Amino acid sequence: MKKILALLLAAMMVFALCACGGSDSSSPAGDLDAVKAAGKLVVGITDFEPMDYQNADGEWVGFDADLAALFAESLGVDVEFIEIDWDNKILELNNKSIDCIWNGMTLTDEVTAAASCSKPYMRNAQVIVIPAADADQYADVESMSGLTFAVEAGSAGEAAVAELGYTATPVSTQANALMEVAADTSDAAVIDLLMAYAMTGEGTGYADLTYTFSLNEEEYGVAFRQGSDLTDALNSYFAAAYADGTMDSLAETYGLAGSVIAQ
Amino acid sequence: MELFQQQLPIVLHSLNVGFLQTLRLFAITLIGAIPLGLLIAFGSMSRFKPLSLVMRFIVWVVRGTPLMIQLLIIFYFPGLVLGNNVWGSGEAGRFLASAIAFIVNYACYFSEIYRGGIQSVPVGQQEAGLVLGMTRGQIFFRVTLLQVIKRIVPPMSNEIITLVKDTSLARIIALQEIIWAGQSFLKGSQGISGAIWPLFFTAIYYLVFTGVLTVLLTGLEKKLGYFR
Amino acid sequence: MAILEVNNIRKTFDKTEVLRGISFSLEKGSALSIIGSSGSGKTTLLRCLNFLERPDEGTISVNGELLFDVADPTTQRESEIRKKRLHFGLVFQSFNLFPQYTALENVMLAKELLAKEQPDYKSRKKEVHAQIEAQARALLADMDLSGRVDHYPHQLSGGQQQRVAIARALALQPDILCFDEPTSALDPELTREVLRVIRGLADQHTTMVIVTHEMSFARDVSDQVIFMDDGSIVEQGTPDAVFNCPTQERTKRFLESFSQ
Repeated sequence: MKKILALLLAAMMVFALCACGGSDSSSPAGDLDAVKAAGKLVVGITDFEPMDYQNADGEWVGFDADLAALFAESLGVDVEFIEIDWDNKILELNNKSIDCIWNGMTLTDEVTAAASCSKPYMRNAQVIVIPAADADQYADVESMSGLTFAVEAGSAGEAAVAELGYTATPVSTQANALMEVAADTSDAAVIDLLMAYAMTGEGTGYADLTYTFSLNEEEYGVAFRQGSDLTDALNSYFAAAYADGTMDSLAETYGLAGSVIAQ
Repeated sequence: MELFQQQLPIVLHSLNVGFLQTLRLFAITLIGAIPLGLLIAFGSMSRFKPLSLVMRFIVWVVRGTPLMIQLLIIFYFPGLVLGNNVWGSGEAGRFLASAIAFIVNYACYFSEIYRGGIQSVPVGQQEAGLVLGMTRGQIFFRVTLLQVIKRIVPPMSNEIITLVKDTSLARIIALQEIIWAGQSFLKGSQGISGAIWPLFFTAIYYLVFTGVLTVLLTGLEKKLGYFR
Repeated sequence: MAILEVNNIRKTFDKTEVLRGISFSLEKGSALSIIGSSGSGKTTLLRCLNFLERPDEGTISVNGELLFDVADPTTQRESEIRKKRLHFGLVFQSFNLFPQYTALENVMLAKELLAKEQPDYKSRKKEVHAQIEAQARALLADMDLSGRVDHYPHQLSGGQQQRVAIARALALQPDILCFDEPTSALDPELTREVLRVIRGLADQHTTMVIVTHEMSFARDVSDQVIFMDDGSIVEQGTPDAVFNCPTQERTKRFLESFSQ
């Protein structure tokens, strides 16, 4: 009986947490002023090369990190990067422990419903990763219908595999999905193109894996609190940074040429 | 092999930084929870009913819910529900929130161990002290305490070893302890990606640490073995 | 004058009357045995004398000093009860030695703690300690335990443990030494060595109250015997009177059950 009560209590607490997470308890319309008053823009990130990662000096660099720093500069404030648990990104945003999520974030329905998102600024795709040795066995996506696919739970890749009606094994991260293929516990994985680019092939941890077909196109955006006036500020900044070539040159620096979306 | 030699110092540095965080959380939890647990134990054994009921309720709630949820609530509740994020966004606030969650959680577990230990000392020990004209304080410190300590060392050792591994739960609020550090190389960090071996190294850190603790705690148990 | 006077002690646990008005007195230097079946209230009576239970009614006086009176709350203050307990020593059925101390330390502990409360303790620390230790060693020697002073309780036999417990009670020089079934937890052989020690104390005219099931021992050693049944004193008198010509039917039945 006690156990049941405890479970009930725990469930209630979680429910309260989620319910409150969706509602806004203060006014995000003043976010721009608040950031200016604080003198810094707090950016929630994960370690995600080439978007956000640490260089040898321990400074955060990458396409997103550099662009975020430039945006902060345009507002006249400092930038601060905080590593977060990706599962809790919306919680962190609403908790005000970060001002935005800027980390190669795919604009999914879930994200756009829970946060105020910028215009898309970069294209990405979900690609199929398989052992390089098997690559020439497959002519197209249909030829892979008999395989089991490791996918990140809740990711765009999972949705894509589900749409095809193929067998999927959800795992907790994209990295785990890759590990499944390397360990031969799954036949293939579906992950971000950018990640596949950084983590498979010669000179990487998964030299024996390669990526093949892409399943769907998707776009990256930046998320702010719902109703935040920072979203408009960033959209105007994007327009300016695209017009003067800043975004293209950053893309060049990080090997992402051709992915930037016109603003 | 050459690649491994290049990567090893980078990985070890990250693991050391993470391990230091693990160690800090472990130490501060023990420092806080050992005395707080004693207060809760006395509270729950109090003859003043409202106090003992409140204490037992708290112990029940804390022990009956996962530490992971407690971490989430302590860190996110002020900002999400009260509209006032008292923790800030940086590492210090996350550490403080983790420390509070761990101290309260482990104090509740410790309090039950203390309570069991105190109640397992035969009442005859206290009566023998009383008829010899000893005060209740003298009886507790001179007679009961050491017998309680002897009885609680084995269950406390179990909890302490569990605590070492439980510290990794603080990852849920992005406290960057050693597993966070080890796992970052899986996903990609500092030019190393898809590497699982740093996680094996992480396991070795845990093994060595729990090994040292086991030796220390077994030593203490042996030291108290001179009486029964 | 009697050293101990107990008057009309009553005690009730959860509506069960365990002691129904017990009165008796004891002369200095004499030994009193209390016999009776289990549940007759003899242990509770002993615990009342040692302030481990609080009687609901009655008075207890030692040396003419009123130690406890239900009608007078000033006799029931916790701080004073502590000192009053020192008039009595109690030897338990289950010894209750402190397991983390050696035999010698068990005997010395309470005395040392009391000595620390003396105002001049700090200046005479060594001297006092030496005194207490010498006394404790002498007591253990009396108990035939000279070779066991540094043993821990678990290294001693039950009989040896009980003799350490007797030495521990004697160390505080109580006016009256109480025994609560001191041999019930012991084998017959170990019982004999403990009874021999108690007999020795009787020979030295130690004032004692002994709750026991050892009938022949009670007959030999005591100056006075009380038979209790159902919370009341049924019969009391000299061992000869109680054991050889009991006047009450209940006493006869009890004694018969033992002789079989």
